[in-house]
Amino acid sequence: MRYVIIGNGVAGMEAAVALRRRDEAGSITLISEESDHFFSRTALMYVVCGQLAHKDIEPLERDVYDRLRLQRVRARATAVDVERKAITLAGGLPEVPYDKLLICTGSRPRPAPFWDGYETLKGIGHLVTLQDLDWLHRELHGAAPFDAPERPTAHLPHSTSDSPYQPRSTATEARGRPPQSGTVIGGGLIGIESIEVMLAAGLKPSFLIREEWFWPIALDKTESAWVAEALRHHGVDVRLGHNVQGFEGDTHGVRTVHTDQGSLPAEVAVVAIGVVPQTGWLAGSAIERQHAGGILVDPSLRTSAPDVWAAGDCAAVRWADGSVRPEQLWYTGRDQGRIAAASMVGDDTTYRRGTLYNSAKLMDIEYTTAGLVNAGLEGEEEWFFEETGRVRSTTRLVTQGGAVVGFNALGRRWDHSLIVRWIEERRSLPWVLDHLHHARFDTEFVPPLVIPASARPTP
Amino acid sequence: MDLQAQQGLMSTYREAWRNRGVVGWVASAALVTFYCLLYWTDLFDGVSVAVGLRNKWYLYGLIYSIGMSAGAVYYLRRHGNSRYNQLRMAVNVSVQIALGWTLPFVMPLIGQPEFYFGYFWPLKYDYLYPHTLQSLPVYLAVYTVVGSLVVAPAATIFFGKRWYCSWVCGCGALANTFGDPWRHLTSPSTKAWRFEKIAIHSVMALAFLSLAVVVAGQLLNFKSDAFYQFSESVKSWYGFGISAVLAGVVGTGLYPLLGPRLWCRNFCPMAAMLGVIQKAGRFRIRVKPDMCISCGNCTTYCEMGIDVRSYAQSNQSFTRAACVGCGMCAHVCPRGVLRLENHFDDAADKQRQGLSAVDY
Repeated sequence: MRYVIIGNGVAGMEAAVALRRRDEAGSITLISEESDHFFSRTALMYVVCGQLAHKDIEPLERDVYDRLRLQRVRARATAVDVERKAITLAGGLPEVPYDKLLICTGSRPRPAPFWDGYETLKGIGHLVTLQDLDWLHRELHGAAPFDAPERPTAHLPHSTSDSPYQPRSTATEARGRPPQSGTVIGGGLIGIESIEVMLAAGLKPSFLIREEWFWPIALDKTESAWVAEALRHHGVDVRLGHNVQGFEGDTHGVRTVHTDQGSLPAEVAVVAIGVVPQTGWLAGSAIERQHAGGILVDPSLRTSAPDVWAAGDCAAVRWADGSVRPEQLWYTGRDQGRIAAASMVGDDTTYRRGTLYNSAKLMDIEYTTAGLVNAGLEGEEEWFFEETGRVRSTTRLVTQGGAVVGFNALGRRWDHSLIVRWIEERRSLPWVLDHLHHARFDTEFVPPLVIPASARPTP
Repeated sequence: MDLQAQQGLMSTYREAWRNRGVVGWVASAALVTFYCLLYWTDLFDGVSVAVGLRNKWYLYGLIYSIGMSAGAVYYLRRHGNSRYNQLRMAVNVSVQIALGWTLPFVMPLIGQPEFYFGYFWPLKYDYLYPHTLQSLPVYLAVYTVVGSLVVAPAATIFFGKRWYCSWVCGCGALANTFGDPWRHLTSPSTKAWRFEKIAIHSVMALAFLSLAVVVAGQLLNFKSDAFYQFSESVKSWYGFGISAVLAGVVGTGLYPLLGPRLWCRNFCPMAAMLGVIQKAGRFRIRVKPDMCISCGNCTTYCEMGIDVRSYAQSNQSFTRAACVGCGMCAHVCPRGVLRLENHFDDAADKQRQGLSAVDY
């Protein structure tokens, strides 16, 4: 049996490990243009600031490919011939035949209407790929990361010029000095990570957010105001309700960012307005996709083509609310990789996503969420508590028809798994508040959250 | 304000002196030289007397306390927003200054022996030798025997070995303070773990064996002179090889090259013994299910070279013999996935995993 996986990311690697566990003899091949080694994309920011080295963000020891006999092809896949069961590679490399194929090509940055791309101005980029990491590190610190691998070009004699994995030159090199101003466009998680690495490099960047407050998909106005306060405390120029219109600069790179409310200096800019499925390369292949790009899959993650599966950010799966779209999360990528592998070896298995949950760190503020918040449910009500004093925290519970359906908390650590269960068990608000201390996950010696009777909901 | 997570970002890998750069090598060479001169020359005796300290060990204790206090300031600047870290540093520095330096200096002034209350057998390898116990006043002999054989193991059952290795022990405290800049240099590789298991358990076996030989030699010396001579040479070779070379010269001298817990992780017989007890005790690191993003901060900043991420990404709460419970993995985790705890209530755990949520 010849298993081929396109994409060496979390879904692909998880699938490869699961396949090997089930099939001792089959050949397993991973095709990746980006990297020789599986790495944690969620950790890119830590390498940019120097908190971690390249090697630290690799979750498995490098000998895993040898130990599990996983072959690697470092190349860019350009099409799948589902009739002949073969994958075409860029640069005239020999085709890769498969018996069963898994597509895990993940996401690529969402194209920005206000930016023409790398060719026009130096100093502008994303923070999504290893090459972005290399670029931003050189932009901010004037040198490649501590243990950067050989420049990626060495591996990619056949890469195409439109590939997002092309290494790029920096404005810092052209200008002969590091940037003195920076900007980040896009009020989401990658945006705030980019802000943090710029702060760590000594810049006081501007943060250009189109919406009325930071990360409205996850936070309400009060919660977001705390994050904005933390940002401003560190010297970030937070600009809400700003629409970026374009960049201006010279041969040395970008100098200015123009918005609908004036211009700001920017000698380095990170565009972080989200990601879209990286499936454009399947345009000529007989594999059905959504209009937005997500590969359509059935509950066992099979695509429309025989013996072809898809998992991770590039696959459009059915959510708990019934909608069909990609789930761009780390743990869902892992789950999908595992389920796809089980389906590929013939298990009768289905991918079912229950209550959504997630966590993040926004500057220094920890964030935990579960269930439906900011969903605008019919008849929803909210209970909100702000703790001040030795510990600062916020807790927000959304109820609908008497049952808790959503949880959003900042400032403390919570065991989401219990809260998810309470939501699924349709617990009432008073019940959840009475039992909330069971879900504490604070470090030792942190005083517990005390909710005074006056702040409790009246029965 | 009290925030648990790391604040700001670290620039660990952009500082050459912390990454085996020239300064790192020079610092290591200087530390090794210092320990060789301290252990095997009289150089520091003269200096000690000149500054009014009775011998070189008091001078060493003073330098040790200063190094630890300076390191604690560095540590708290990086990680001091967490209550766990604040308390731990306060206890570490107090123990060193009070029990590691002041009391041993003061006691001889009032006719008592120079005694280190912060150390126990088998770290202080001679504390259970019959001749040592005979030379101590009864209250100190009782303190030593009960402390080493009853209190230390019992406390480890309840709190893990961290109560000693990260809160009391002078070696551990120096590693956590003065050695903190280099904590990411401890190797998390499987190879390093394999070496650790062989090395540390060999030293533990040596500690037990040498104690048995010395006890036999000192108690039976009237029967066999040759055996007594042998036991005395075992004693001095153990002291030279384990305490001077491995704990001092190698263990501390190589901080800037191999990380600060080289001794604790690979050679300390006390850490080995408490580690075995810890495995059977109540301390654990709890992992929140399916929340790990495999970023690697925990593994990188684990000073004991434990691949914490491998447990976190497989949703496995765990207790590793090596873990000294410094709390750094939980501190640097950007998703709050890890929690150090002494779990007393297995029933609550079972309910957490079971189907019924009604009863808790």
